[in-house]
Amino acid sequence: MSTIKAVAGYLPGLKVEELLWQTLSFANRGDTLEVAVPALSPAQLVALAERVRLASRATLKSMAVSQIIAVVDRAIERLLDPTDPYRQEAEKLLPIITGYDPEMVRLGLTGYLKTFRAPQLQRFVAEDFANPKMLDEFQPAPKGGMARAFGPELMVHIWAGNVPGLPLWSLISGLLVKAGNVGKVSSAEPLMASLFARLLAEVEPQLADSLAVVWWKGGDEAREQALFGQADLVAAYGGNDSLAQIRRQVPITTRFLPYGHKLSFGMVGRAALDARRAVSTARSAAYDVGRYDQQGCYSPQVFYVERGGKVSPQEFAQYLAHELAAFEHKFPRRVLPLEDAAGVAGWRQTQELKTFSHAGSTLLGEAGAAWSVAYADAAQPLAPCALNRSIQVLAVERLEDVVAQIAGQRAFLQTVGLAAAPKALLQLAEALGQAGATRICAIGAMTAPEAGWHHDGRFNLLDLVRLVEIEQAAETAAEDFAPYKD
Amino acid sequence: MANVKDPESLPQGLASDLVEALLVFMAQADSSEDEFSRLALRLFAHQFQHNLAFQRFCQQRGRTPRTVKGWRDIPAVIINAFKDLTLSCVPPPDCERVFMTSGTTRGSVRGRHYHPSLAVYDASMTRNFSQRFMQGTGKIRMGILFPDEVAMPNSSLAHYLALAVREFGTPGSDYFLGPQGLDSARLGEVLAQVQATGEPFALLGATYSFVHLMDEWQQRGQSFRLPPGSRVLDTGGFKGQSRELPMEEFYAQLSAMLGIDRSQCINMYGMTELSTQFYDAGNATLPSVKSGPHWIRSRVVDPLSGNEVAFGERGILAHCDLGNFNSVTTILTEDVGVAVAGGFLLLGRAEGTQARGCSLAVEDFLRAAKA
Repeated sequence: MSTIKAVAGYLPGLKVEELLWQTLSFANRGDTLEVAVPALSPAQLVALAERVRLASRATLKSMAVSQIIAVVDRAIERLLDPTDPYRQEAEKLLPIITGYDPEMVRLGLTGYLKTFRAPQLQRFVAEDFANPKMLDEFQPAPKGGMARAFGPELMVHIWAGNVPGLPLWSLISGLLVKAGNVGKVSSAEPLMASLFARLLAEVEPQLADSLAVVWWKGGDEAREQALFGQADLVAAYGGNDSLAQIRRQVPITTRFLPYGHKLSFGMVGRAALDARRAVSTARSAAYDVGRYDQQGCYSPQVFYVERGGKVSPQEFAQYLAHELAAFEHKFPRRVLPLEDAAGVAGWRQTQELKTFSHAGSTLLGEAGAAWSVAYADAAQPLAPCALNRSIQVLAVERLEDVVAQIAGQRAFLQTVGLAAAPKALLQLAEALGQAGATRICAIGAMTAPEAGWHHDGRFNLLDLVRLVEIEQAAETAAEDFAPYKD
Repeated sequence: MANVKDPESLPQGLASDLVEALLVFMAQADSSEDEFSRLALRLFAHQFQHNLAFQRFCQQRGRTPRTVKGWRDIPAVIINAFKDLTLSCVPPPDCERVFMTSGTTRGSVRGRHYHPSLAVYDASMTRNFSQRFMQGTGKIRMGILFPDEVAMPNSSLAHYLALAVREFGTPGSDYFLGPQGLDSARLGEVLAQVQATGEPFALLGATYSFVHLMDEWQQRGQSFRLPPGSRVLDTGGFKGQSRELPMEEFYAQLSAMLGIDRSQCINMYGMTELSTQFYDAGNATLPSVKSGPHWIRSRVVDPLSGNEVAFGERGILAHCDLGNFNSVTTILTEDVGVAVAGGFLLLGRAEGTQARGCSLAVEDFLRAAKA
């Protein structure tokens, strides 16, 4: 048993001794970690925001997007290097903070960071801007005149959750549109964004003052109002209750981008249910369930399985149970906090009680096991499970029938992992898209969205900018005032 | 004492000798672990035999009257089971009363707790209330901040409070929450009057109603200094019915507004799924220690394994209530607690997985489904 100490936050221009510090404690697998987090006063937040805004105006905004990409790429390269001290700190501390298996964190970090290399970032920009140079200077517009995209002077990020690395997503988006960035880390995972900010400042000292990472206890309205009052844009991640609370603190003239909790699921068609494919599909499905213990918005909570294949839906549930047991062997589930354990126990008992009244329902996995599969012989409306490697497998006659079962969850839908033949893929995608899903991917890839994906169906970068247009008429009129005019 | 029915007249399917034994047991001053276990096992065998859903539940866990050797071995049923199953040995139509949960957590599905006769519930409540709230006072003038039993016939709290008034209230006792809402003006007049005459007064109701009351009086700048012997009973927490405030602040405000010492502000912890309540000895310091009478025993467990956690560690509360003679003796709550000398501390509800990741969790989902 050893106690490790770490410091979160990245606060350019502020001296350590000027700040009040609080300690967040984490304990997992016999290690204890104490993370010191800075509790800035509302006035300090305002001053910090001012500094970041001015610095980004002076430096970031004069850089070309390609230069910014090069800087991020250098930082990501360092994080991908197993010998780099930043990488080593992340690998050592994130498992203690999140409780996830260290090897799962290591593999997850690499897989995730790879999507932020230069070519991927260029693709990311190109997804949203037909002409990425629009972010650097006025460019001719097809309709006539010229247009240029300006990022916010100050973008505030409210991060949530304990899936390692997620804050990087919005922070890098902010950098790519040349915004000054102030991000608030969550108490559940205060470290990764802080590390990244420090690393970025080390890689490119010019950017040192263009971003900051702060902390306060969620729901602190005085601090929220102080910082939001300085922002052009607030992007927030969290449950709908927290988002509603945050929205109330955002001035009406400040843009607010909420990213709520989502509900994702998988669909397995009979084409994937012959003896050979069923095993590999179940293995991929188990991977999607096991990775990050279903904490991600893209993690499946239900698998709908089509009848009529060589392997029945019930058999598929057993395959999945088998694969989850194997996954547990390789990557043990984190030790659940009491609240999560109570949630899983309650969910398990509820599923068990259902088996009394519904013939054809079963619950797989012993009470002490770190995973559970609840199987039901009939389609049911999409509903969350207890996460933490609990999953429902529901039999359907035809995959098309799933659409009716998800209709009620339109506002929450995100990823659908789909195993079906090409024709079915396109037909189902049409119906699923109409029902509210925004991402259709292969089973096994649910937790790893590809570079340049549109998070919750939105434009990651385009949503952040303000377009400034010089109309054709202005160009023409200017000619009238030209010194060379005859 | 409560009106105890003649066991001979109890409905069919109910072991009248069991009820009789239970009433005798409850009348004892105390009981040993062994005595408690013996009666718990009798009740378990009875419930195992007469409730098939419960029987299957137990069998799945390998717990039968043959393998269960003490009260700690009786499988704990989650409170949600009161929604999904009929947990009654006596057929529901033959039951005198059914208490239902308020249905705040899962849409419109309400948990049902069937009572073939209220004799046991009433005996449990009055005996315990007399000791823990009345503390030797025979009768006291009561003000109730909750609807009456006519308005809410399926509320166990409405019945509990009606029983309190009937058994321990003076004729001047009254309800101050009706169809028109909280009658804070009339209550204010009554309190001013008892303050003048020196008559001790007891104010009882849901925690959130006290918040409403304090908000209204604060606005009007009203406060009282109730006579010595006056006391307060709050129960149930805020339940989203009022603004939420830290308990420290709640009791400080309550005490200041009524002029009642915090040691006389007693919190009752009860549930529709139980027939017995827990009390603290006032809330001068928080969190206060909760305890029940000798016919209910609690364990603090790891919810996944069901095993008891080490003394002093946080866990989920499981209660074995012998008063639950017709449903199930042992329930697994959703409350986080920790065992201490003389009882347990209640640390709030296990709120599930929300706010950790970005995956939609059940609680958020249900809230959205309700909205």
